[in-house]
Parts: sequence; C-alpha cells; structure tokens
Amino acid sequence: MTKLHIFTRGLVKDNAVFVLMIGLCPALATSSTVRDGFGMGLAATFVLVFSNLLISILRKNIPNEVRIPIFILIISTFVTIIDYMMQAFQPDLYRALGVFVPLIVVNCMILGRAEAYASKSSVLDSVLDGLGTGLGFTLALTVMGTLREVLGNGTFLGMSVFGESFQKAPVIFMIMSPGAFLVIGILKALINKYVKKELR
Amino acid sequence: MTGTRQMVITLFVVAVSCAVILSFVYAFTAPRIADTQARLTLSGLEEVMSAHKYVEVIPDTLWEALDSSDNKLGIVFRVFPQGYGGPIPITVGLDTEGVITGIRIASAAEGLVETPGLGAKITEPDFTDQFKDKCLADVNLAQDGGEIQAITAATISSRAVSEGVKKGIEIYATYVASACDPMDVFPQAGGFSEIIADTLWYALRDSDTLGIVFVGVTQGYLDRIEFMVGYSKAARVTGITVLYSKETDGIGELIRDAEFLEGFKAGAPEAISGATVSSQALIDAVDGYIDRFKEYVE
Repeated sequence: MTKLHIFTRGLVKDNAVFVLMIGLCPALATSSTVRDGFGMGLAATFVLVFSNLLISILRKNIPNEVRIPIFILIISTFVTIIDYMMQAFQPDLYRALGVFVPLIVVNCMILGRAEAYASKSSVLDSVLDGLGTGLGFTLALTVMGTLREVLGNGTFLGMSVFGESFQKAPVIFMIMSPGAFLVIGILKALINKYVKKELR
Repeated sequence: MTGTRQMVITLFVVAVSCAVILSFVYAFTAPRIADTQARLTLSGLEEVMSAHKYVEVIPDTLWEALDSSDNKLGIVFRVFPQGYGGPIPITVGLDTEGVITGIRIASAAEGLVETPGLGAKITEPDFTDQFKDKCLADVNLAQDGGEIQAITAATISSRAVSEGVKKGIEIYATYVASACDPMDVFPQAGGFSEIIADTLWYALRDSDTLGIVFVGVTQGYLDRIEFMVGYSKAARVTGITVLYSKETDGIGELIRDAEFLEGFKAGAPEAISGATVSSQALIDAVDGYIDRFKEYVE
C-alpha cells in the first residue's frame, strides 16, 4: 500500500463518521456550527497524530497484556495537552465544545487506530494514518457543521448567507439535536447511493 | 516472573513520563489561562458599566466600579436565574442611584442553554438594551405590569431574566450606596440615630449623646468635594473622611491623605501647599458646617 493510500484511506474510504460510523457522539454533538465542528475535528486530529506517533515508537516495548492501559495513558496525556492549550488560546471555542474535549479520551476512533494500526506499523505510516483519519473526521464534522449552521442559523462561520430576512426565521431545528441526526442520516444515505463501493 | 516485572516497569515509566510532560504543559499554560479568564471577565464588566477599575468584592459575583479618583460609580454583579433550558448567566451594572447601566447575557458559546432562535434571543441588544436606565420598580415584563417587552414565544426565558435582575438588585442593593458609615468618623459611638436623612446623625453611647456626624459638600478646584465629619460634645472633630472628590491627581487629591485629615482632630490643619484651593475649601466647609450644626450638640 503506498503512503498516499495510507493517508487517503482514513480520509475517504474508511471515513470514521460516514463509513465506519464511529466517533458519532462528538460528531452529532459538536457539529452545530462550522467553527465548532472544525475545531473539534482538529483537536481530535492532534490527539490522533501524536498518540499514533508515540504508540508506534514504543510498540516493541509495550507488553501485550498492559497495552490498553498504556494506550489510554498516552491518549489522555495528549487530550489534556490540547485541553489546556484550547483553554489558554481559544477560550470561546473551548467553552462551546465543553465536555467533548476531555471526552476525546474515550473516542473509540482514537483507541481503535492505536490498537488496530499504530501498535503494528512503522512510525511514518502511523502518523499518516492518524493524519488521514483525523482529517477525515474533521471533514465530516465540517460538512455537517456547514449544513446545519447555514440552514439552522442562516450563517457560515458567523457571516450571513441568505440575508437578514432568512436569518430572522431560519430552520432552527437544524442546529438543535434532531437536526444532527437528520443531517448525518441524509449524508450517509447519499454516500451509500452515489459513492461507488470500490472507492469506499 | 520477568513478564510481570516488565509490565509493571513499563506501565510505571509511561505513567511517570506522562505526568512529567503534563506538569510542564500545565506550568506553561496556567498563567495564560488565568490571564484569558481575567480578560474575559473584565470585558464582560466593561460592557455593562464603564469604569476605571473594578474591585472584586465577592469572587466572580460582585465588583465595585471605581473611577480614576477611586470614587464609587456603582456595582457590577452576576446572577444565574433558572431559564427554560438551564441557568442564564447575566451580568448587571447598577449605579449608585440604583439605576441599571446595562445588562449582558452570556452567549451560547459561553454556556447559555436556551433554545437557539427563541430563548437564545435574550442575548440580543433588542432585548438587553431595554434594561438600560431602568430601576428596580420598572424591571418587569410588560404583561406583568412593567416596561420590558418579552421576546415572542420565549416568555419563560424573558421572565427569568427580568426576575433574575430584580432579585440580584434586591440582594446586592446594600453594596450600591457609596461607603458612608458614620462609624468611620465617630468610632467611640455605640450607635447612631438619624436626624436628617443621609445628612445628620446623633452619635450615641448607651443613652448619652456623644456628638454628631454630618455629611457636607463644597466646591473644590475641579469638582465638588463630599465629606463626612464626626464632631463631639467637647467641640472636637473625631474623624473625617472624603466621600467624593475629583481634584487634580497627586495635587488636589492630597486632601484624601490621612496626614492632612488627621489635622482636623487637633483644630484645623494647614492648607496643603500647591493645593490651596482644594484643601482650603475643605477646611472652610468643615468650619461652616460645624457652625451650622453646633446647636445639635449643645
């Protein structure tokens, strides 16, 4: 498998949210606006890349019996780092994402990549895999966030899209929780119908 | 057994390394986090009441707003009434007359959980600006006999805001009045009985009258000077404080100096050189007021 393949697999073919259907809890909860979805995606990408990197470096020294606690320790360390960083430099985003930043620790997408890939592969491959999976997650959340913010609030990144009159009475439903389920369902259906099997 | 030992050692080493890394990250970010928090709090305060500085009285809840001469402009407080979805974080500015200078409601990004598009509209200026320049009695929804127009289809959230603001004013009202406790200038007294509202008190101990405390005002060099004086039966000034002044920084403002004010207790102090107008005005005014109120002690 070429390096490019390793990277793009997580991005499209094995997209965590739309194909593997994992990491759905933060995907549904933090995709109400473009900024929140994108921010959450990048935070998860940071954790994925660095935990994959470290786990791959240490993979030959980690005894099989205690690998899961060690993975969790490493992942939670990076989650705590990103948590502090966001609090210090992006306080608004941090408050919007709330409890979902610390909850990246239990996102099965991250432990899944550590267990299934990084603990068995070379350092470069693991980093590429983490980057691809993370950006795939970011892409999914940003697409959902865009649809929900544009329809539900009439804005994109806070800028008005359809003008004042729409913004006065947007499809509020879309930025509330049911809108998240509706958007992800419709996107999943469209992907199933139109994206070819081989590509997926 | 080597297997077990290796497990324990690896786990231990990883755990310790993680802890060390985190302690460094924490040391690096902690001051910035505190900074960011402080700045956010401050900008929230400025939005409801502009002042030179804010002195925290109750942490994260109540601040005194002061101007550049340390005169009290009012207070800023935070309340969290229960709304439709959860507590609504409201910051309220209240001037010394009890008039609201502004209110600010935290946005959804800052923890507001009202329904987007309905209850969440309470954060918009169309709604919050209605509270400006109102006092306690007017802060009610129009349908409850007040002057605040509720947001259509969001009566619960709107009412929660007006009730929360009202409750906050009632709770913190005692902090609004500028600090003027007669005890400050007549420490020997056990109690005070008011003769003229906010102006003249008898200083009492048991049932004896020890003297009087009065509030006076005079024109200084730049602005008025308000002061409070304790005056005993023995024709002595027992204490004096300046309640309000806005004289030239570092010159006229020296009338607030303890040394100068102490001088009143031993007769009249010398005027402050370089600040003759301010200090002489205060000296003359104190004399004048004593003449006027003397009869109450005799």
